Amino acid sequence: MTTGALPRRPLRDRVSDRRVFLAVLVVALGALMSLLSPYFLEVGNLLAMTQYGAVIGLLALGVSLVILGGRGGIDLSVGSALSLSGIVMGLLAQNLGLSPWLAALVTVAFGALLGSVNGFMVARLGLPPLIVTLSTLFLYGALAQVLTDGGQLGGFNREGFAALGQSAILGVPAQVLLVLAPAFAVAIWAQNRTAFGRRLHQIGTSDRAAALVGIDVNQLRFRLYCLSGALAALGAVVTNAWLLTARPSAGLGMELQAITIAVLGGIHIFGGRGHLSGVLLALAVVVVLSWGLQLAQVGNSVQTGILGLVLVGAALLNNLLSRRAPG
Amino acid sequence: MTTTTVPSAFAPSARMLVVLRNALLPILLVAEVIFFTVAAPGFLSAANLANVVINSADLALLAAGVTLVVLLAGIDVSVGPMLGVVAWVGATLFVAGTPPPLVVVIALLLGGALGAVNGALVVGGRISPIITTLGTAAIFKTVLFILWDSTDVFAGPVVPALGPARAGGLPLVGLVVLAVFGVLAYVLRHRVFGRRLFAIGNDAEGARLLGVPVGRTAFAAYVLVGVLVGLAALIYVGRVGVVQATAGNELTLPAIAAVVVGGTSILGGEGGVLRTLGGLAFIALLQNGVVLMGVPPLWNGVLVGAAVALAVAFDVLTRRTLDKRIGARK
Repeated sequence: MTTGALPRRPLRDRVSDRRVFLAVLVVALGALMSLLSPYFLEVGNLLAMTQYGAVIGLLALGVSLVILGGRGGIDLSVGSALSLSGIVMGLLAQNLGLSPWLAALVTVAFGALLGSVNGFMVARLGLPPLIVTLSTLFLYGALAQVLTDGGQLGGFNREGFAALGQSAILGVPAQVLLVLAPAFAVAIWAQNRTAFGRRLHQIGTSDRAAALVGIDVNQLRFRLYCLSGALAALGAVVTNAWLLTARPSAGLGMELQAITIAVLGGIHIFGGRGHLSGVLLALAVVVVLSWGLQLAQVGNSVQTGILGLVLVGAALLNNLLSRRAPG
Repeated sequence: MTTTTVPSAFAPSARMLVVLRNALLPILLVAEVIFFTVAAPGFLSAANLANVVINSADLALLAAGVTLVVLLAGIDVSVGPMLGVVAWVGATLFVAGTPPPLVVVIALLLGGALGAVNGALVVGGRISPIITTLGTAAIFKTVLFILWDSTDVFAGPVVPALGPARAGGLPLVGLVVLAVFGVLAYVLRHRVFGRRLFAIGNDAEGARLLGVPVGRTAFAAYVLVGVLVGLAALIYVGRVGVVQATAGNELTLPAIAAVVVGGTSILGGEGGVLRTLGGLAFIALLQNGVVLMGVPPLWNGVLVGAAVALAVAFDVLTRRTLDKRIGARK
């Protein structure tokens, strides 16, 4: 999987690497957008662009890990988990008067709990991930509505908590520098350099083979779903610090964005193959794309469809490339 | 892999499990009806039950379509938004004065064409059904949004049988639904196409080796889903009377829920449309009864989501025990 030990790879391999393609795409899209709109490259816009990207980046990371874990792994519930976690954090901060920082900690643990429900049903009971997470998608989303009666919550603008979502350090938004970047850095490092990463690819490639070399397949897969839930909750914390209100529909439709980014990033839908660094680049592509569309005054509803096209196109691309590559 | 072996004295026999699997839904339905008859006044009146039929007829056809692809071990999460697109086109044509029979034909053809898009991507593009239909669901939503263009389309039933009309207290649309389910049940059980769906859902590779045209059959199934969505779209127009920007979106999960609760296995190869009809009745009566009891509609999603999770858990766990009992491997 990792080719770091090899001194040289054939040029064709390197060019057909998904990450090269994505990097070129980011630059090309950026150039195109800045030609089309003089506002595109303004510092303020770059800020807002990455603030938005921080949240869906966390979700995409969680979904990618679950898909890499194989056996049909997918997490459709990330958007709803974000909504519900955000509401729980609102209840803690507003109704119980907890410090927002403490509430954030509890919220991440709560997110892991939401993920563990998926993990329990998928890894322990052996239920199909698609249906499990589809039902929790609706379950968590509906619970968020029920808990607030459809209203919204606040209480986050205390003890400097807003700084996490609204300030910038050296021109980089705090949530990118302090949350998104470390999360991806750790994940990419773990994927390429640790036993966790190797095991992840082993269970994603073959359950049987992984079990035979002594990996507790079910436990690892259970943890992946917990991780996905915790990352979604972290996304909720960042959203609350950014917008200072928790809405029960905050994560609506975000599963589509997260899965699109994962697939575009080259994560193979049947597991075991793909780089998290590719996911980071795909995140950049999607963020640049949706920001450009926003500037071009293309509304959210139309962006949804464009994202759908990107998802299907990326999946087709994955199939074409994997047909050519051996194995 | 790590399933603990249950001491054989406590383990239910294979036959008992089969009986339990088949009897569970009828038992639940009876229990549900008894519960709501006691808890919600007016639940068991003819007028209310006719309302339930009229309000869930479009959903029933979507669920029938989803059943076909789930039997193939596929899925279609685009049926709701697809219905929205066809409903807009149908309502707009109808309002513009197109003859009703022509509107019906166009709706069925358009539905079939949209279904063919899914089929082509799944079969020809070899994209997994969930990714395909997640993508096309987003595309259909946007197509409807662009077509809608900030103007709601108001329309009545295209033909009386696709609206809330009743003959002697019986809702006509219920008869349409029964006819569709009857034909599908016959095709699934007695026609080559139906048997092929089961064969592919059980073991696609094995079916291919036996000479089943796997790709063509799967493609036809996705097209058929679209045709059923087309018919459902006209019923939707007749029921709601208006097509808005997000028409149909809310129907996707209940449609899948009806299939799963009905006991068609999400792993493919086992189930049928009549089970889906039972699952649909369970969900439709649940939503109706809960509203009559005065529970806020916000709770609907919680109830349906929980019902799906429990039904899948029951299905997979009993199926696995059964497979172990009879020594089958899957």
